[in-house]
Amino acid sequence: MIRNLNIILIFTSALMLAGVYGLKFSIEETASERTALTEHIRQQEGDLSLLQADWAVLNQPGHIDPIVKRHKDALALASVNQKQFGSFADLPMRPAAPDTQGLDELFEALDAGVDPIDAILNLEGIE
Amino acid sequence: MAVTAEDIAPTIALDGARKVRGNLTQARIRWMVLALILGFGLVGGRLVQIGMVENDTSIEGQARDVITATRPPILDRNGLEMAVDIRVPSLYAEPRRIIDVEEAVRKLRTVLPNLDENWLRQRLTGDKGFVWVQRELSPAIQEQVMRLGIPGIDFITESKRFYPGLNEASHILGSTNIDNQGIAGIEKHMDSEDVALLQELGLARGNALAPVQLSIDMRIQHAMHEEAVDAMNRYKAIAAGAVMLDIHTGEVLGLVSVPDFNPNDPASALVKDSFNRITAGIYELGSTFKTITIAGAIDSGAVRLSDRFDARFGIRYGRYTIDDFHGEHRILSVPEIYKYSSNIGTIRVMQAMGKENYRAFLTRMGFDTRVPFELPEMRLPNVPKEPADISAATMSFGHGLSVSPLHMAVAMGAIANGGNYIAPTLYKRSLEEAQSEYVRVISPETSADMRYLMRLNAVQGSGSQTEKIAKGYRIGGKTGTAEKVVNGRYSSNKDFNVFASVFPMDDPKYAMVVIVDEPHAENAQTGTTAGWNAGMMSGRIVQRVAPMLGVAPNFTEVLQQLETPNL
Repeated sequence: MIRNLNIILIFTSALMLAGVYGLKFSIEETASERTALTEHIRQQEGDLSLLQADWAVLNQPGHIDPIVKRHKDALALASVNQKQFGSFADLPMRPAAPDTQGLDELFEALDAGVDPIDAILNLEGIE
Repeated sequence: MAVTAEDIAPTIALDGARKVRGNLTQARIRWMVLALILGFGLVGGRLVQIGMVENDTSIEGQARDVITATRPPILDRNGLEMAVDIRVPSLYAEPRRIIDVEEAVRKLRTVLPNLDENWLRQRLTGDKGFVWVQRELSPAIQEQVMRLGIPGIDFITESKRFYPGLNEASHILGSTNIDNQGIAGIEKHMDSEDVALLQELGLARGNALAPVQLSIDMRIQHAMHEEAVDAMNRYKAIAAGAVMLDIHTGEVLGLVSVPDFNPNDPASALVKDSFNRITAGIYELGSTFKTITIAGAIDSGAVRLSDRFDARFGIRYGRYTIDDFHGEHRILSVPEIYKYSSNIGTIRVMQAMGKENYRAFLTRMGFDTRVPFELPEMRLPNVPKEPADISAATMSFGHGLSVSPLHMAVAMGAIANGGNYIAPTLYKRSLEEAQSEYVRVISPETSADMRYLMRLNAVQGSGSQTEKIAKGYRIGGKTGTAEKVVNGRYSSNKDFNVFASVFPMDDPKYAMVVIVDEPHAENAQTGTTAGWNAGMMSGRIVQRVAPMLGVAPNFTEVLQQLETPNL
C-alpha cells in the first residue's frame, strides 16, 4: 500500500520536476525575447528622436528662408508688398441688374458664328 | 590444567542489538549534521558573497538614471519644435575588465584620434568600475568602436538636448549642460520650476514629457533675428537687438539679441558680448523716455496736449546748460515737443508734473525692479531713488537712469493698450488670464492721447524713416539716440540707439523695442541718429511680420482716424 503510494509520489515528483524545468526554460526564453524587444524599441525610439530632430531642422524658418532666397530668381519669388493686399471692401459691387442688352448682343454674335473672345485672342497673338 | 593467557580465547563481546542500532543511528545523525552544516554553510557563504558584491549604479558620482533623464520638448506658439531630445551613444570603459590596456588604447585611437594617448592610458588603467571615455558620439562612430571588439568598452545611450533653430532663439532657450540640466534661459527656468523635480523623482527617465509651449512665434523670431544680424552689418554696429510683445496678453513673440551663441555648443555662450542685451543689459534709453514722461504728465492732469511750453532757451543747472538737439527754440505745444524731441520742452513738462510725481510714476511703470519675466538673465535697473533737480531733468529725457529694453517694451505696451500694465511672459497666456493680472497705470484717455502722439511722430517726426518702409501698417513710436558714456563722459561719436514702437496704431496690438549699439551711417546720405538705424530696422521688421500677425495694410490717413486728442 505505502509502496504503491511512494511509487506514485516519485513519479509525480519526477513529472513535476520536468514540468518546472520546462516552465523555467520557457520563461527564460520569454524574458530574453522581451529584452530583445525592449532593446529594439529603445533603438527605434532613438532613431525616431533623430528623425524628429531632422524634421524640426527642416521645418525651421531659418532653414527654409535660405532655400527660398536661393531659388527666388527661378521661381520669381519676392516678399509681399503692402500694395499687394486687398480687402473685400475694394471689390466693385455687383451691378444692380444684369446687362441684358450686352448679353443679347453676345448671344446673337455667337449664333452668327462670331466669338468675341477669338478677336481678343487673335489680337494678343494667342492661338 | 594450567590456564594461560593464550588459552583464553578472545572474548567476544557482543553488543546487544539495541546498542548496535543506537550507535549506528548516532553515526548517521553525526553525518547528517555535518552534511547540514556544510549545506547551510554553502548557502550562507553564497549569501555573504552576494551581499559583498557592490552593485555600482552610479556613473562618476551620479545616478545612472540621471544620465538618460529627458527634458520636455519646447515648442513655439504654432507647435514648431524649438528644442528636442535626441538619443546619442556615449562611450565608457570598465577598467577592471580591460585585459590589455595598451591594445585598447591603440585600437580606440584608430577611431577616435583626437583622444590624448597618455590621458586615455591613464583613464583605462586601474580598478575602477566606470569611466567616461567620450560622451555624445555619433551612431557611425559607435558602429566603428563596436567593431573593434575591445572587452570592457561599451556604450550607454544618453539624452542630449538639440536646438534645431540654432542661433535664432538662443537667448530665449538658453542652454543645457552635458548632464541635461538647464544652465541658462528658459531651460534653467524650467528646471527651477518642475523638470528638476520630475527628474529627481525618476519620472523623467526615458518617458516622454508633455511638451512646453512658448509664446514665441519662430517665423517672427527668424525675421527679427535676420534683421538684427543685417543691422549689425549694415551699420557696422557692435550689437543689435529687438523684442516684440503682444500688448494685450504680455506674450513675447520674439526676442533677439546679437551677437548671440549656438545653444547646441554651450561653450559659445561664454564668448564676450554674447549676453542678452534685451533683458540683461541696462542702458540709458534716451529720448524714448519722453514718451513715459509725457504720458505721466498728462495722466497726472498737470499737462494737457494743447498746453504750450517755453523752449526758447536752454535750461541752466549750475555749470550745465541742457539744450535741444534739433533746436526749434520757440514756444512748443506738447505734440511739437514730442515730434521735435525737445529736451527743454520735456523738462518743462516734467516740472509741470513735479519731480516727486514723476519719480513715483516711474515706480508705477515698473522701472524700479526687474521686469517680472521667466528668463534668469535679468539685471536690476538703475534709477536714482531721490533725484536732484538736474538729475530729474535729465531723467525726463532718458539720461541718468538705466533700464533694460524689455522695461521699455512693457511700458510702451501699457501706454498703448489703454493703460494696463501686464508683465511679459514667455509662456502662452490667454487674454482672460492676462486681464486678471492687469494693473492700471494710466487712464484710457491718456493712452489715447499717447497713441496720437506716437503716430504723429511716425508720420511727421523722427519715425518718418520707419513709416516710409512700413507704410500701411500704421506704426507709431519714438526714437532715442543716447550718447554712450566712455570713461565717465558722454561720447559724441558713440551712440546707443533705440526705437520704441507700437503698431497698428488705430487698434494697437504689438509693441516693439529695437536697439542698435554704436551704429555708423549706412552711407553718406544717412545719419547716425536712431531714425536711420533702429527706426529703419523696426520698419523692416514690421514690414515683414505684420502679414504673419494678420495685420492688413491700410492706406487711409490713420492719423485722422485716431480718437481725437483733447486739444
